[in-house]
Parts: sequence; structure tokens; C-alpha cells
Amino acid sequence: MVSFIISEKYSWIVSFLAPFLLLINALSAGIVFYYTWNNQPLAIEWTWFPVGGTSMKTGIYIDNISALMLVVVTLISFLVNLYSVGYMAGDRDIKRYFAMLGFFTFSMLGVVVADNLLIIFIFWELVGFSSYMLIGHWNEKPEAADAAKRAFILNRIGDAGFLIGLMIIWSNTGNFNIAELRSVTTMAPWQTAASLGIFCGIIGKSAQFPLFAWLPDAMEGPTPVSALIHAATMVAAGVFLLARVHFLFTPAALDVVAITGCLTALMGSLAAIAQYDLKKILAYSTISQLGLMVTALGAAAPEAAMLHLFTHAFFKACLFLAAGSVIHTLHQAQHQSHTTFDVQDIRNLGGLRSKLPYTFLIFVLSGSALAGIPLFSGFLSKDAILTSLLAWPGDGFSWRWLIFVGVIITSFLTVLYTFRMIWSVFAGPEKSTTQLTVAEAPAIMRAPMTVLAAASIWLIVSWNPFDFSGWIYSGLFAGMPSHSHLISIFSTVWILGALGVAYTLRERTFHSPLLLNGFYLNRVYKEFVETPVLQVTQLTEQLDKKWIDGLLHFSAYMQLIVAHVTGWFDRAIIDGVVDDAASMAKGVGSFIRTFQSGKIQLYIFWAAFAIIIFIIWTLL
Amino acid sequence: MFPIHHFLYLGALLFCAGLIVVITKKNMIMVLLGIELMLNASNLNLVAFNQFHPGTINGQMFALFVIIVAVCEAAVGLAIVIQVYRYYQTSVPGEVNELSD
Repeated sequence: MVSFIISEKYSWIVSFLAPFLLLINALSAGIVFYYTWNNQPLAIEWTWFPVGGTSMKTGIYIDNISALMLVVVTLISFLVNLYSVGYMAGDRDIKRYFAMLGFFTFSMLGVVVADNLLIIFIFWELVGFSSYMLIGHWNEKPEAADAAKRAFILNRIGDAGFLIGLMIIWSNTGNFNIAELRSVTTMAPWQTAASLGIFCGIIGKSAQFPLFAWLPDAMEGPTPVSALIHAATMVAAGVFLLARVHFLFTPAALDVVAITGCLTALMGSLAAIAQYDLKKILAYSTISQLGLMVTALGAAAPEAAMLHLFTHAFFKACLFLAAGSVIHTLHQAQHQSHTTFDVQDIRNLGGLRSKLPYTFLIFVLSGSALAGIPLFSGFLSKDAILTSLLAWPGDGFSWRWLIFVGVIITSFLTVLYTFRMIWSVFAGPEKSTTQLTVAEAPAIMRAPMTVLAAASIWLIVSWNPFDFSGWIYSGLFAGMPSHSHLISIFSTVWILGALGVAYTLRERTFHSPLLLNGFYLNRVYKEFVETPVLQVTQLTEQLDKKWIDGLLHFSAYMQLIVAHVTGWFDRAIIDGVVDDAASMAKGVGSFIRTFQSGKIQLYIFWAAFAIIIFIIWTLL
Repeated sequence: MFPIHHFLYLGALLFCAGLIVVITKKNMIMVLLGIELMLNASNLNLVAFNQFHPGTINGQMFALFVIIVAVCEAAVGLAIVIQVYRYYQTSVPGEVNELSD
């Protein structure tokens, strides 16, 4: 609790306060973790506001999964903050950057500790917003602003589904609290719909097919942002949520989840092979790894997915930071020598092993974890996923074996693209960087990378380099860990074979416009969604102008007529009455005035008249 | 003889004629004439009543007195008209209206 109150404060005292606060953050997360790991989950709840008969509650629920995520989020956030001090030094908007980083950490922690789906949704949206701000940090670049918009909008589309899921849950159970929802044991049809709704939110946030197009474009943001958001935390929020509400998913929904995850994994890794931008390779790699996690969740193994999330957070963040270090040092060198070439394009780089040896080492360590090479953490978590996938289909042949095959192919491709990336950047002859004097990154950037690289070896998962059921897995998994030696041996052989294939293909380039452009998903969106929507808007605009405005004009005209009528009425009748009364008074007055006119004959006349009246009156 | 109401009607007619002359004529002397006419009409009435109540001569005596009074009044009236004419230079009765404001 203390942790996210601290990180909520906006750090205006720039580079020193932010990492310091986050260090405190991380330490307090560690304390929380220590208390709640494998113990009774920490659950606090209080009433937020009453609505009609029910009252909306908000609260905190920290069980094993949350505690794990707490540590991951705060630790990586702290390391990224530290790294950013070096990377973003001299940037104009550094205050806003650190403020947004703090805000992002706050919202992410909110997602992690909330006990209540509604609160999760609120923090979910906040995470989306802060990621928008961070991606579009260099908002003078139009691509960055575009990418930020795309990220937020695609996220929102997913959130629409999330909201529908929430509404279905509310209308069926009247309760958002996760602990209480756990008691819903029957598998009713509404649960499928609700879980698919929530999964829509996850598709948006964790970049599954078809909403993953924002992630490669989000590489326009600064590299530490990519490390924080896209490697470790935000995209993992979806996986975390799925693990939290896993009990809500019916088998049918889980099948959908698994298929989506597998498809995403394949598409991500296929696209990653064809990229030549350093960060985009990592972006597609993230998409692919997320697909793996989601597949594991679909195979009813949330603990394997969480394990992979844990290890992926570390090695992917490390990879991003290392890539950032390469980019940063090359930029510095460029400023000094006044050359211009795109430092992120791996076709321009090569042979940096001698100039950046430390970064090379980091890259190799974390890249091996990504590829799933034995003796690294990634190997173990992939093993966990493969084992659970093996246990999933049951007897006989079902389509679920295809998912298994898909995951195997993905891990093969992962090795390929990782190797290609490292080889193109660090080995071989130097291409465009021969003239530059390149220095290693400053210590403040190297320290976080070191920590993360150290976390990529197998020791973080378990003591045995071939057994993934270490402290994390058994902490998350409620039953007996099923461990398959077959899988360990098979995957070892497979990975090493892939490594060999990658080495032989090392000089070949791979051209495929389809994969390069991410399966043209952006174009697809434009054609099928954007254009019809624009046409509909134009149609409604026409409708609005012609009819609605016409109606307005007509009613205004009618009003004008009524105004004229009332005006006439007012003038002629009302004023007429008053005028007539006045003129009558005038007439009577002037008539009576004649009695005093001084005309003798008039006097005589009136006197005679009066006498006649009198006579008639007395006679009658 | 013929019934009395013929005389009375005639008298009334003459009286009204005299009244109209007094009211509408724009000459003061004509107004005096109108007055005379009215007086004579009343004379006619008187004599007619006298005729239908024989044995007395009250009506005729009254009529004689009326004639004398009329003569005196006409003389005085003319004197007034002449004086008014001398002062106001007009003989139209409506224009002598210094009493009003």
C-alpha cells in the first residue's frame, strides 16, 4: 500500500528523486512480498460510494500472484528509472517524462493490488493513458504522436469488450470482488460471454491478434519506456488479469484464448524474422512471447504463464535496455562525427563486439534467455509452458496438438531471430560505424542492465537448471508439479538444433514485405475499419446538415411567423383597446369641454336639450 | 271648430323652428328674430287655449302682455347687440367668447 502512494507523487525534482522514490517503492514491495508469499492473502476492503441499494466497494487483495507482480513491477520500474537518468539526460521534457513514469508505476500497481474488477478497470485505463503519454513523449515527431494515438485507441477498443464483460458479470452476480467471484462454481453460458469480454480487454492491452498493431509502432517512444511498458509491465497486465480471473473462464472460452495466443505467437515470431529495425525485432518478439503466455493460460496453466511472465519481464527489459544502450552510444558518437544514419537499422550496424563488449555480453545473456537456451531462465519457463501444453489435450488426437506444434515452431523461430539480431549487430564486419569512436554506456545505464541480465540465468527460477518447479512455480501452482523429462530433453535438443540452423543462415537476409509490415495489419485497419467509419461519418454529417438543420430552420421560421402574429395581436388588439379607451376619454373630455366653450348658442342648445329630456322623463 | 291639437302642433312647430333659429344662426339679429318667433309661438298657444275655454279672456290678456314684453326685450336686445358690435367688431354670437379659456 505504501508503495503506490509514494509513486503517485509527481517527481518535479528531476533525476534524483525519481529513482530514489522507486527504490523505496521496490523495497517496500519486497517487504509486502515477504509477508504474503505463501501466506494468507492480504485482503482489505472498504466501501467507496453507495449507488441505490448496493454500494461500490474498493479494496486491496494481495495473494501470491499479486505479490509476485508487485516485486516485478517495482523492481523493473526502479531499474528503468535509473537507466533513464542516463538515457534521457538533457532531454527537454524530462520532468514530464519522470512524472509519467511514476504515474505509470502507480497505475500498474493499482491494477496489481486491486481486489475488485471495477477498480482494476479504472487502473487499466490509467495504464493505457500513461502509456499513451509515454509513447508520445517526443511529441514533436508526428510518428510518435500517431503511434501513441494508435496505442491508446486499440487499447480502448479492447476495453470496450472488457466493459461488456464487466457488465455481464455484474448483471449475473452483482459483485465485482474477485475473491467472492471465485465462489461461482457453475459454468454458465454467461460466463463464456463475460470471460470473452474480459479477454477482449486483454487482446487490446497485451497485444494479441488482431489488436497487436500498436506495439511495433509504439517503439517511437524512448527505449526505457519500451523496456518498462512493453517488455515487463503493461503488456503483462493482461496476462496478470487473465491469471487472476482464470477461474471464471469456461473451457470454450479457454479454447479461444489458446488459439488466439498461438496465432499471435506465430505471427509475432514470423514478423520478427523479417524486421531490420532493432527495436521492432524486440517488439515483435514481445508479441510472440505474450502469445506464448496467453496460450499457456488457455491451456489452463496460469502458473506456467506467470512463470514465463516473470522471466520474460527480466530478460526482455534487459534486451530493451541493452538495445537502448547501443542506440544511445551510437547517437552520442554520431553527434561528434556528424554522420547521419539510422542507428536502429541493423543493416547499418555490425561488428560492434569489439567496441561495445559489455553490451555485447548483456545481449548474449538476455538473448539466450529469450531464445530459451538451456541454463537460462527462459528455457525453464518455456519448458513449463510446453509441459502444460502436453498435459492439456487429454487422450487421443485433437486440434490442441496443433497448438503444441505451433508453440514449438515459435520457439524455433525465436532462436532464429534472436541469433540474427545479435549476429547482425555485434558480429561480422562493421558497416556504417567504422568511422565512429564509440564509448560504452555510462555506469548508470549499465548497472540496471547487469542486474537484469543476472536475473536471466536459471538460478532465479530454481536450483536445478532443468527443473522449472522452483519456488515461483510451486508458490503459484496449487497441485503437484508435473514434470516431464521428455520435454526437457526434447526442448534442449530442439533449441540447440535451431541455434545451429541460425548459425548456418547467419549471412542470409530474409525478405518478405508481408512480414516486414506486420502482416499489413495497419492497412487492414485502414481499409476495413477506418474508411467505412469515415464514410458513415460523412453520411451522418450530410444527414445532419440537410435534415436536422432543415428542421431547425423550419421551426425557426414557424417561430418567426408566430412572433409576427403575436406582434400584430399585441399592436392591434391590446394596444387598440388601450388606445380606444384613451381616445374615448379624450373624446368625452373634449365633449364636455364644450360646455364651457363660451359659445352662447351652444349653451342655449344644451339647455333646451336638457329641458326636453326632463319633460320626457317626467312625462313617462 | 276643429280640434285644438292643430293649434298646439303649429305652436310647437313654430317654437321648435324658433329654437333652431336661435341655436344655429350666425347673426345676432337673427337670434333675436328666433326669440321673437318662440314668443309668438307661445302666444299662439295661449290664444288657442283661450279659444277653447270661452267665457274668459285670460289667454288673450296674457298674450298681450307677452307681446309688450317681447317688444321691450327686443329693444333692449338690439341695444345690447349694437354695443357688443361696437366692442367686439363682430356679430357672430360664437365669437363673443371671452368667458371661456
